[in-house]
Amino acid sequence: MIEVIEAGPLTSVQTASGRPAWRHAGVPVGGAADAWSARLANRLAGNADDASLLEITLGGARLRFDEATVIAVTGGTRVTMGGIDLPAATAVALRAGSQLSVEYGDGARGYLAVGGGIEVDDVLGSRSTDLRSGFGGHEGRALRSGDRLEIGPASGRSGRWTGKRDDGPLRIVPGPHGDPRDLEGEWIVGVEADRIGVRLDGPRLTGREVPSMGLPLGAVQVPPDGRPIVMLADRPVTGGYRVPACVIGADIGRVAQLRTGDELTLVAVSLEEARQAMRRAEEELAAIEPVEGSGDELGWAGSHR
Amino acid sequence: MIRPFGESGLLVETGDAHRAQALAIAVRGAMPDAVAVVPGLESLLVELDASTDLEGAARRLEQLAAGAAAAALAGREITIPVSYGGTGGPDLADVAETCGLSEAEVIELHLGSELRVLFLGFAPGFAYLGGLDEGLRVPRLATPRTRTLAGSVAIADSMTGIYPADLPGGWRIIGHTDLVMFNPHRDPPALLAPGDRVRFERVGS
Repeated sequence: MIEVIEAGPLTSVQTASGRPAWRHAGVPVGGAADAWSARLANRLAGNADDASLLEITLGGARLRFDEATVIAVTGGTRVTMGGIDLPAATAVALRAGSQLSVEYGDGARGYLAVGGGIEVDDVLGSRSTDLRSGFGGHEGRALRSGDRLEIGPASGRSGRWTGKRDDGPLRIVPGPHGDPRDLEGEWIVGVEADRIGVRLDGPRLTGREVPSMGLPLGAVQVPPDGRPIVMLADRPVTGGYRVPACVIGADIGRVAQLRTGDELTLVAVSLEEARQAMRRAEEELAAIEPVEGSGDELGWAGSHR
Repeated sequence: MIRPFGESGLLVETGDAHRAQALAIAVRGAMPDAVAVVPGLESLLVELDASTDLEGAARRLEQLAAGAAAAALAGREITIPVSYGGTGGPDLADVAETCGLSEAEVIELHLGSELRVLFLGFAPGFAYLGGLDEGLRVPRLATPRTRTLAGSVAIADSMTGIYPADLPGGWRIIGHTDLVMFNPHRDPPALLAPGDRVRFERVGS
């Protein structure tokens, strides 16, 4: 069992792939905003990629584990135990009674996986929380202090990540309307940056309404005000604004780590480069070596109750 | 016309929603490498497996689109009880003024429209209903409401729809229904599906 002592501004149960099978009924895909980091956390904790885990926005969460478990934290938050930083992107064995803080770090969202995953019911084929419509995950809502979460049966495997994540410009490819090169250059993340999308401040583009159409992850919509929005996990199934570009699959998780005021560069690439980047992101995700030995050898178990 | 949409997506312009729905059915049956098929108002988004050659996929979609054009969805007949105006329909008077009609005439035209579900989007269970009487064409609100209540029956442009939950929204609200449009624990979760024929029925005041 995990006890939520403090939940922070927005912590929810998510899965990497979300709920993709119900778009015909208008249900957004949702799931982890930075799915790549979510998959990595799960692999390190010995889980399947799509196991349910915690997405912790901007830190501020304190958790108590009342049973021994393995955890792994990835993404943009820091994790401390008793004021000491835990190693990032490495499985850590915790003794019963351990208390962790997930704190503000270098990105918007952290992913905390526990060996065995978080036990919640499937709703429409997924354990992810649809925060806007209020179903799935833990009681269909963001976590609050006092919540208690069950942990599933763990595999016993754990790993340490030895890969590297791209940190260059964010790459874009064509959408159905116009030329992605019109978006190349420097942008600043606007005030509106959430799980639905991230608005970019910079030069005004040509925006307009179009007949509502399906929106893939990473679509860059330009409404009539000319300010582009990169669409993320909780985007609606359909959208009615011009889409001149899409952020490539390999880079969309990095968009979900941006915070208001962050600077970014967009650069147009070919479809072949986009697909190659995706293959490389998958290779980096797989760069995991097993962590051997018991929890005590990992050096953290029980030392900070 | 088939346009690129991201590194693994294609947007097939079908011209209308019924052809998009028919093509969606054909693609689901014939293209196992289509990992997502999302119909819209005049188009179909097809997301393909990352290893699929997009030019080849576009050719297969063109062939399917040629064959799927004539197919029609069976659909069901669904009646939705509505109470028009009052606190549940705050924009009824504005709509009447914009259209140069009385409130009673707006209600008559809404009740008399032969409506069909074009597609679902925007939010879980939100069905875009086409076939709204031409006398009821109103633009969306210039500034959308931050909260439109669940059950609000609203119109915009050539369409009408029912808000399934409390949501931000720019459509003009003329009435209210107590029907639950979406419940994730119900089977099927959405009350309406593409192709359904919808009739509104006046209740209350």
